[in-house]
Amino acid sequence: MNRLVPVLGLLAAASLAAMGLALTLGSVPLPPTEVWAVVTGGGESLSRTLVLELRLPRTLAAFATGGLLAVAGALMQVLLRNPLADPYVLGLSGGAAVGALLAMLAGLGVALVSGAAFAGALLSTFLVFGLAHGTGSWTPVRLLLTGVVVAAGWGALISFILAVSPGAELPGMLYWLMGDLSHARHPGPAWLVLLLAVVLAWPLGRSLNVLARGALQAASLGVSVRPLEWTVYLVAALLTATAVTLAGTVGFVGLIVPHMLRLVLGNDQRIILPASALAGGILLTLADTLARTVIAPQQLPVGVITAMLGVPVFLYLLHRSR
Amino acid sequence: MIFPASIRRPPVRIRFWCLVCLGLWPAVLPGAGVGEIRVADDAGREIVLTEPARRVVSLSPHLTEILFHVDAGERVVGTVSFSDYPAAAARLPVVGSAGQLDLERIVALEPDLVVAWQSGNPARQLDRLQRLGITVYLNEPRRLADLAGTLERLSRLTGTHEAGTVRAEALREGARALEVRYAGRSPVPLFYQIWDRPLMTVNDEHLIGEIIGLCGGVNVFGHIDNLVPRLNREAVLAADPEVIAGGGSGEADSAWVEAWRRWTGLTAVRRDNLFFIPPSLIQRQTPRILEGAALLCEFLELARSRRPAGSP
Repeated sequence: MNRLVPVLGLLAAASLAAMGLALTLGSVPLPPTEVWAVVTGGGESLSRTLVLELRLPRTLAAFATGGLLAVAGALMQVLLRNPLADPYVLGLSGGAAVGALLAMLAGLGVALVSGAAFAGALLSTFLVFGLAHGTGSWTPVRLLLTGVVVAAGWGALISFILAVSPGAELPGMLYWLMGDLSHARHPGPAWLVLLLAVVLAWPLGRSLNVLARGALQAASLGVSVRPLEWTVYLVAALLTATAVTLAGTVGFVGLIVPHMLRLVLGNDQRIILPASALAGGILLTLADTLARTVIAPQQLPVGVITAMLGVPVFLYLLHRSR
Repeated sequence: MIFPASIRRPPVRIRFWCLVCLGLWPAVLPGAGVGEIRVADDAGREIVLTEPARRVVSLSPHLTEILFHVDAGERVVGTVSFSDYPAAAARLPVVGSAGQLDLERIVALEPDLVVAWQSGNPARQLDRLQRLGITVYLNEPRRLADLAGTLERLSRLTGTHEAGTVRAEALREGARALEVRYAGRSPVPLFYQIWDRPLMTVNDEHLIGEIIGLCGGVNVFGHIDNLVPRLNREAVLAADPEVIAGGGSGEADSAWVEAWRRWTGLTAVRRDNLFFIPPSLIQRQTPRILEGAALLCEFLELARSRRPAGSP
């Protein structure tokens, strides 16, 4: 616990650096001095448009999405006591994707596509919640199986929608499915959700630490397991739904960031949760910066870059930890 | 085409004042500036420019081609990838692909007009450009008549009205000539393949569908609702068209239509009616579509000549 302040301080500084880099780099070269002038309220009108209207909202959205997914992934891994769990394992992204794709197929506007994605994510959450609850006893295994099967069902629906959609809609749909930050415009609500979740989950950290060792141990240590598990599930679902609404299904961040942090920092949720918020944000901000500059003016889906950055780093950490 | 200055239309400013003098203009509308250009785009929105656009960004290969065709090529400052015709267009700065635009580069080019492809560009990105105060013209040609209208409207917006009028009339005239010559000939059942995996065709609403009708062909899948239906091969075998025509993955790659030869029971195969049409001549909504249309009409005429004696 005494490492909390230095670790978070370091990550916060890295976050600022990552966001600064994201504002400076783009497909149109701007000198760092000009970007600084814009940030401090000056600069030419063209640079102001580029930095404040195009890069800043996208950077903030990328950071919030990364943070939301990493925290959701950390919570899911504790909840399901399964290292392979990620924010999407319980079918939430599938529900969001079906909602968004149907809205795109119907030719609805920007706001309605986001709204449909959020509605789909919530629908999937409550579907899994209701089905896993069932009549029998509840276990993480049952929740996991329900979620995985519901996810498979959504997957089939997604394939069906892609198969019957007119060709003109397909590129947009594929980019949505691969995760794409180029449309994200209002990151405010996402930041609020992320902040609230981290602040509210922090007092639960000790209970989560016990829960991670098993439900029986937790119960014998006086943790009321069932309500805690449902709280964790709903919080993780809300975080994921918010992220998916903002940027589509960005993969990999939610799986890998919590694991990386555990390898470095140990498995204390009181550190892991806030650190995930920052580290996830940093990873996605850097990945998105690369996604829009590597082969500019073409853009890559950000998921491609998160995997390319994350896989070697993760493998190195895993190798070193032996 | 360049006209001597003497027969050019008088500048818009003079015509406007003439209207006022004649009393045909009841009152000067508030905000209606002198010399304004007002054009409706294909989404039905009114595009207003205070003067002809000097810096145009084109967001589709077909729109780039149209702008060059109406002599506005030198006003194009940015295009998207695959804008390869005419050769001069390929040298222009690229602002992403039609399906994924690089907004930063577009904004940095400081265009006074962006010409966009409604069904091909992401609606959200176009929306974003307009919020940044950039004028966006939406194009969506579905019929040959729309295409001719596009030539006229884009030429008005770029101040090349004379060229646009002439080229649009030539396009209409060319289409009319094909129609007069071929539309009444005996119908040829035809399957038009625009993609191989998945197998894709077009319906009667599609521009290519209109051209098939112009040539006296009957699209065997023309009645399907979807503009670009995806099919399985069995449906083509069952329909047994007299002609199979289509494009390929390249401008000279006829492998897709040739692949039908293995189905020796097909009428089109027995009569050797497998015809390749370079995709850029018919699958792009540009004036070059007349060349593709002429090619298709000639192929159908060839197919008619290959009918065994006594058959319809």
